[in-house]
Amino acid sequence: MNTEKTLLLRIVGPPFAGDVQQTGEGPEPATLLEVFTDGTVAAYSGKVEYGQGIRDGFAKMIASVLTPPLTTDAREIDVILGDTARVPWDRGTTGSASTRTVGVQLVRAAEAATREISRRANSGGEITGPPGLAHLLDERNIEIVISGDLNDSTENSQAPAPLETTARVDAVERVTGRAMYAQDFSTEGLTFGRVIRPPSPGANLRRLDATRAKQVPGFIQLVSTPDLTGVTAKTKEAADRVAAFVRTSWTEPHDDVSDWNFPAVLKDRASEPVVLRDDGNVAEALSGADRVVAGVYYVPYVANAQMEPSASTAIWDDDGNLTVWCANRGPFSERQTLAGALGIEPESIRVISQEVGGSFGTKSQSVSVEAAILARETGRPVKIAYTREEEFAVSTVRPAALMEISAGIDGGGKLVAWDYVAFHAGDNAFRGRRGADSPYDAPSTRVRVADSPSPLPHGSYRSLGGAVNHFGREVHIEMIARELEIDPLEFRLNNLSHPRYRRVLEQVAEMSGWKSRTRGERVGFGLAVGFDAGSYVAEVARVRVDGGTVTVERVDVAFDCGQVFNPDGAINQIEGSIVMGMGTALWETVEFDGGRVLNTGFGSYRVPRITDVPEINVQLIDDATNGPTGAGEPGIVPIAAAIANAVSDATGTSIDRLPIEVHL
Amino acid sequence: MKISINKTDRDLDVNPESSLLDILRQEIGLTGTKYGCGEGNCGACTVLVDGEATRSCITPVGSVAGRQVTTIEGLAAGDLLNPVQQAFVEESAFQCGYCTPGFVISATALLSRNPSPTVTDIKSALSGHICRCGAYVRIVKAVQRAAGDGTAI
Repeated sequence: MNTEKTLLLRIVGPPFAGDVQQTGEGPEPATLLEVFTDGTVAAYSGKVEYGQGIRDGFAKMIASVLTPPLTTDAREIDVILGDTARVPWDRGTTGSASTRTVGVQLVRAAEAATREISRRANSGGEITGPPGLAHLLDERNIEIVISGDLNDSTENSQAPAPLETTARVDAVERVTGRAMYAQDFSTEGLTFGRVIRPPSPGANLRRLDATRAKQVPGFIQLVSTPDLTGVTAKTKEAADRVAAFVRTSWTEPHDDVSDWNFPAVLKDRASEPVVLRDDGNVAEALSGADRVVAGVYYVPYVANAQMEPSASTAIWDDDGNLTVWCANRGPFSERQTLAGALGIEPESIRVISQEVGGSFGTKSQSVSVEAAILARETGRPVKIAYTREEEFAVSTVRPAALMEISAGIDGGGKLVAWDYVAFHAGDNAFRGRRGADSPYDAPSTRVRVADSPSPLPHGSYRSLGGAVNHFGREVHIEMIARELEIDPLEFRLNNLSHPRYRRVLEQVAEMSGWKSRTRGERVGFGLAVGFDAGSYVAEVARVRVDGGTVTVERVDVAFDCGQVFNPDGAINQIEGSIVMGMGTALWETVEFDGGRVLNTGFGSYRVPRITDVPEINVQLIDDATNGPTGAGEPGIVPIAAAIANAVSDATGTSIDRLPIEVHL
Repeated sequence: MKISINKTDRDLDVNPESSLLDILRQEIGLTGTKYGCGEGNCGACTVLVDGEATRSCITPVGSVAGRQVTTIEGLAAGDLLNPVQQAFVEESAFQCGYCTPGFVISATALLSRNPSPTVTDIKSALSGHICRCGAYVRIVKAVQRAAGDGTAI
């Protein structure tokens, strides 16, 4: 690569293409892409890489529309992510929206760069190719401004062709240990902090004795503010020892709630359900139906349990500016959180997201604030790296939910009434509403969702409440089909007129050999269909049940996320979603007593391992007539229901609550 | 104590009871070896000790005195990846990559004692590792690919 590298062109515009719902600040136009005189390109986005392959996707999408003399090698495109001082504002890396909003806009920026470079080349002499595009430099026109309007005819976008399956641009860093995560970050003079935590949220500190702790070699400081109690030390090991020697007594709020009684408590304490949809007249349709099938379903709290425990490093400078290196998926929202908690302006905070070792919706929302407070109080750089136990005990969990469903069916096997009410733990209604609506044709459909106080800190998880609501709905559909003695595929097709649902159902039936399937004595097949993040998905699971053990042998997936840019990336995400959802189906449940989490290690919280993994077949319905939609989350929404339905098929016992093996 | 780390002899003045993981990450600055659980349950901290896959988080550093420790940083020869690393790249056998060093180390140890493992051998050798992103299907394929290369590891 040419060492002479100066800026040739900068593309500026809104960071998102299309009509993207935004709240709060921005998005102001910002630098999206820079072209250098050696033909290389830098791209800027507020998204964060946490395993979904967004750096790779962006680099390859951009490379696919660049033409020589600009680089067409995705590895030469420097994708800069998640640094609030360098990248455009972003709402956070959520909702499987990165490709369809930012990715598309970066492609438009790359196209603008290609157009401008070839215009200059055609009007001013020959192109010698990289290195050496300095002759194309036009000092007065360093900056090109583009819009985010997909219908702007002067910026007509050539949709990039699907990407070839090549190694991820960030692969080598990952297999050599060079990729730097928040847990790995280090700096000159770094000290290590531990927070002295209450045994459950809301507990009050009665007594603290740090006499012994202060004698531990490496001890630096005990910090006690109204917001937190913590210690710092010279090494991580010393910090762990210091924390272990701090003696505390707490007064815990008494709450007679645990994972044992929570299904009942959840409903008892719930708010009045909010009506999301009320078509026709559900009461009348139910009373006039030939058959009414009712069911109650429960999904417990589950932990994100991403492999990298939360970590953050904070440094204050002499002017009161704060820099934080963390693993947050939303660096700009993290900055806002810090500003609020510390009482300083967001502008004096720089948040730099590192490589993120998994998230699935959570990383501690408090770890950066904790590190910043300890750094402020001690006047030194402080890193806090959670232990696994802390991660289980402190980080947010997916809210538990209870779902009640009544369905009315006429003599022809058509749904005439669908009455759905779900009680989701937590006070974020947005989460529980995701996926609550029914796609089935029932003319009378009522969908209601209620909140209920959560004894545990609750947060985002892959698809939010989508996978939870789908479990209730798709298990109930199966139960109706069984009662009516109609094949579950036929029942769904008979009641689902939406063409994209029908297409994935028909495709997965073909892939799995649904119509010619043979149930063994302990072998069963289960089907479920879903919608999430704009995409349609149908899954068939084949299971074997031996006593209380369920083995998922095979999963077939038909997936429609519209136009596909990165097929291998999408398939990788679906496979991961199946594996993750399988854990929630069979084993995962957060055990708790009051606000205390009881299973805080991988020995007591069982997640899928390599020996559990079934054969997974994924087919993408690549239909360019529909714009690209999400791929990171939809795969998880039907899988727990598909597995539960397969277990019911194998055993003849209805599965109405998760995790299955606990209740089998 | 004297330890060979990635073929470099080191003379370390550390508490022999410290975990090998803490020493590697903090004293030596080799952060490719990851902390995942601290109790040997997830495999993220796996290194080779005299060629054998070992959980560094539950290994006191004193117990590896005089022995050869190889971390993820020590597998490649310059830019030339070892066959397992190369196969993980080619199969995209990861998502976030946090667990990857541990898997690569254990797979390398497997292939050095069993150059032609069956799928069952592979799964059994890697069953102590967790990949929460669920890249397991690809991890199996990657180890098969590395074995198929027939390159001595």
